[in-house]
Amino acid sequence: MKRRSIVALCLVTVLAAAVAAATSGATKKATASGITVWLQTDAQNGWPDIVAAANKQFQADHPGVSVNIQYQSWTDHLQKFDATLAAGTTPDVIEMGNTEMTKYMAAGAFQDLTSLKGTFANSATWLKGLAASGQYNGKIYGVPYYAGSRVVTYRTDLFKKAGIAKLPNSLAAFAADSKRLFANQKKGFSALYVAGEDWYSAMGFVFDYGGGIATRVSGKWKGILDSPKSIAGLTAYKNFFLSVSRAGKTAIENSPDPNPYDVFAQGQAAAVVGPAWYTCCTGKYKPVTGQFVMPGHVKGTVMPGFLGGSDLAVPIGANKALGADWIKDFTSTAAEKGLEQKGNIPNATNLLGNSVNERAAARSWFVPQAKHWVDVENGNILRNMLGQILTGNLTVKQAAKSASDNIASVLNQP
Amino acid sequence: MAAAAETSPFRSRRRRRFWGQALRASTPYWLIAPVVVVTGVILGYPLYWLVKLSTERYGLFELIRHAGESVGLANYRSVLHDSVFWHTLLRTVVFTIANVGLTMVLGTLLALLLVRVSKVVRLLLTSGLVLVWSMPVVVAVQVWIWMTNFENGVLNYALQQLHVGNFANHDWDQTTFSQLTLVTTLIVWGALPFVVITLYAGLSQVPRDLIEAAEVDGARPWRVFRDITLPILRPILLILTSLSIIWDFGVFTQPYLLIGQAKITTGNYLMSIYLFEEGYFKSDYGRGAAISLLMLVIVAVLSVFYVRKMVRIGDV
Amino acid sequence: MALSRTQRRRVRQGGWDALGLAVFVVMVFPVYWMVTTAFKPVTEIISVTPSWFPLHPTLGHFRAALRQPFFWEDVKNSLIIVGATVAISIALAFLAAIALARYRFGGRKLFVVLVIGIQMLPQAGLIIPLYVVLAQYHRVNSLIGVIITYLTFVLPFSVWTLRGFLIGIPEELEEAAMVDGSTRLGVFLKILLPLMAPGLVATSVFTFITSWNEYIFARVLLNDQSKQTVTVWLSYFSGTSRNTDWGALMAASTLTAIPVVIFFLLVQRRIAFGLTAGAVKA
Repeated sequence: MKRRSIVALCLVTVLAAAVAAATSGATKKATASGITVWLQTDAQNGWPDIVAAANKQFQADHPGVSVNIQYQSWTDHLQKFDATLAAGTTPDVIEMGNTEMTKYMAAGAFQDLTSLKGTFANSATWLKGLAASGQYNGKIYGVPYYAGSRVVTYRTDLFKKAGIAKLPNSLAAFAADSKRLFANQKKGFSALYVAGEDWYSAMGFVFDYGGGIATRVSGKWKGILDSPKSIAGLTAYKNFFLSVSRAGKTAIENSPDPNPYDVFAQGQAAAVVGPAWYTCCTGKYKPVTGQFVMPGHVKGTVMPGFLGGSDLAVPIGANKALGADWIKDFTSTAAEKGLEQKGNIPNATNLLGNSVNERAAARSWFVPQAKHWVDVENGNILRNMLGQILTGNLTVKQAAKSASDNIASVLNQP
Repeated sequence: MAAAAETSPFRSRRRRRFWGQALRASTPYWLIAPVVVVTGVILGYPLYWLVKLSTERYGLFELIRHAGESVGLANYRSVLHDSVFWHTLLRTVVFTIANVGLTMVLGTLLALLLVRVSKVVRLLLTSGLVLVWSMPVVVAVQVWIWMTNFENGVLNYALQQLHVGNFANHDWDQTTFSQLTLVTTLIVWGALPFVVITLYAGLSQVPRDLIEAAEVDGARPWRVFRDITLPILRPILLILTSLSIIWDFGVFTQPYLLIGQAKITTGNYLMSIYLFEEGYFKSDYGRGAAISLLMLVIVAVLSVFYVRKMVRIGDV
Repeated sequence: MALSRTQRRRVRQGGWDALGLAVFVVMVFPVYWMVTTAFKPVTEIISVTPSWFPLHPTLGHFRAALRQPFFWEDVKNSLIIVGATVAISIALAFLAAIALARYRFGGRKLFVVLVIGIQMLPQAGLIIPLYVVLAQYHRVNSLIGVIITYLTFVLPFSVWTLRGFLIGIPEELEEAAMVDGSTRLGVFLKILLPLMAPGLVATSVFTFITSWNEYIFARVLLNDQSKQTVTVWLSYFSGTSRNTDWGALMAASTLTAIPVVIFFLLVQRRIAFGLTAGAVKA
């Protein structure tokens, strides 16, 4: 009996000591002898020269302050960020996806950069969609970094063979052209490969018809997917999908379903819709690959494309002056022009060129700026809605109403 | 807890004779001290954190401020009242039984096979098992996705060639049952190397001459296994079973990646995925902590039968 | 035609060997797929009809894999971390297992509960608080922090498994040796250690592989690419927002699997049959 209680006592002492050591006092924040910057591996692979240039400029302005760039993966950088937030060891600059920003801004994870807006290059002409993702309650927490839109990547040879002289300038024209593209192709071939549950494409239709996903009405979120305009857009998507795509009705646009660019490279599609970087992976069809802007339903218009992108923010507990200064160097006009040359969309309208990617950004849509929007995405509410519409399990109206109510309840959580 | 030291006076007297009276008292404590210290130092705070957070409302907002708001047992109540929790629990229990059963039966058969084959084949087979074991999970999942592709995956091709049924263009993603069946094949495949190699190591403790003597006496293989091999293997089989239960109940990476985040619904949740989605994806750390502790209790209950047997064997 | 006894034995042996080879082929097939994909050009990897064998093998993916920075540093880090974890955990776990299997002491059941209970904790929940603890001890971004973390997770398992092996060794062997005048250390070296060799090897292989392939804690705890493990290095092939280079990823995975296989080949002789035959003839 006695021995057991001694052992138990020792165990409790060790545990208590561990707890005390861990909860006593905050970790000392590193003094300004160096800053830590978290960028995604896209920068390491795609534009390491731009990163190096920014570091050089920063170190010229701040001699003696080293820059430690740590490259992160999209799959787990938020888990790591949460751990640093809990421990108080946040990096001085972090790259966040534009859809990831709102949740963290609402929780107070970033420092207010509003007063420093003037120091960032071209801040007066920041891309509206991208800049909006870095703002919350009227304050600026994220500096736009770069964006990417969605375009149609197509086989110039197949279009030529089908006798399509002029690229389609409306959805109706595209649907008509697709009939010619289907000729003499084997089963499973798609004129335009769109995965059924590719909500990025589908929501473009909704916005093209003037609808939307959710709006804020007197402080509460209201789902508007069941509005007449949204339903028109969803119906248009259903009809368009059935006429041009032979993809799975419940397939998504990446793993474990086939990636559209792989479908393209296998010769199973005359065109695919997706980010502009799809040209990287067209395999043996690279010489006959071209891109054009997805047309809207009104002749001559551009279908609103989802503007993906990244912002740069200074987390709470970090060195605001130095962090913001590094961001300034990394989003300078020269840096942004460099990013543009690598095929991205720069962060300001005055820097926009005329590439297909950039023209597609002329009309763009973005997700509701709600702190629980991530939960809607993770809950696959939009994907499931599309699956039910395309398989015919529910009518467009029923599926839209159900999704709309679902979205509202998720967004309105405290 | 029963008073362990007093139950077998004869045995303890014998022990005292050999290891020395003075040492007996303190030696075991010195032996376990390093393990206790290492785990206590590292896991002390996390355990405290989990318990504390499970009684608080603790989201991202609270994480940044390092302070939660106490809500008593509200987190537990919300989880226990969630029907998704109960359905997931049932599904995970069935899933665990299937995985553990397959792993242990196939593992034992393979270990026995390893004993029988010639040296070269044995080396080949064990090296193959280690290769399987060393494959990163992410890569294994991707290979599985390629193999089970409904249009041109080798699995459908092989099943079709073997005339097992009509598997041409069979879509394995259609139902929860087939999704989880695929996950089971992946997990059992990945778990077999460890089980087989450990059991084989255990089999090497079975005296070869005993088996040979029994065989010369005309005993059938099943009786040799049951009467000679099994009793010696029993502790290890119990350990492996209890460990498999613990691991397969909480397995996360394989189902999450194989089914894919987009196809995960409340209809095909497993407990660890439920924990991840409800707790960490939504940044509701309080709820996550409550679910973690509930999972701990459930796994303890599920494996208590094997664990108690294990502990009792050591006490004999 | 009646077969002689040796002929019958050979046929039976042949039958077992054939079965063993069949099992080998089925088990290893996914690994085979990974390795052959590493040699296939991209067009073959994504082609609609899969090819069983690389028709136009290329070393390009291996070159691309090695071009990903910090490969050799990360291999070194992995070897250090895993080596230390295996060595320390086997030593400490063996001692604790002896305590559990050979001694009665107060608090024994509590220790057993601790050992089993730790393994039942879902690891996902421990990431954040563990990071906080290590940050307090200034052991974030350090190999030692990772080693201690891994030790915490493998020790309970190792203790539990080694105890199982120890229980299988009858105490009479030790007692007989002691009666014959052997010292305690002699008993340990000449009787226990050889009999435990298979169990020690199996446990150390498990520890090696688990630590080598561990990802999420290494990812969260190690910041500098020069300090990361090779499993984290591997994740850079698929962590971008763009496409995954499957060829390079398969090549990289093949490279990371090699040290594990080498380690196993070095120690596998100890999990051999007949090692114990001599000791048991008492």
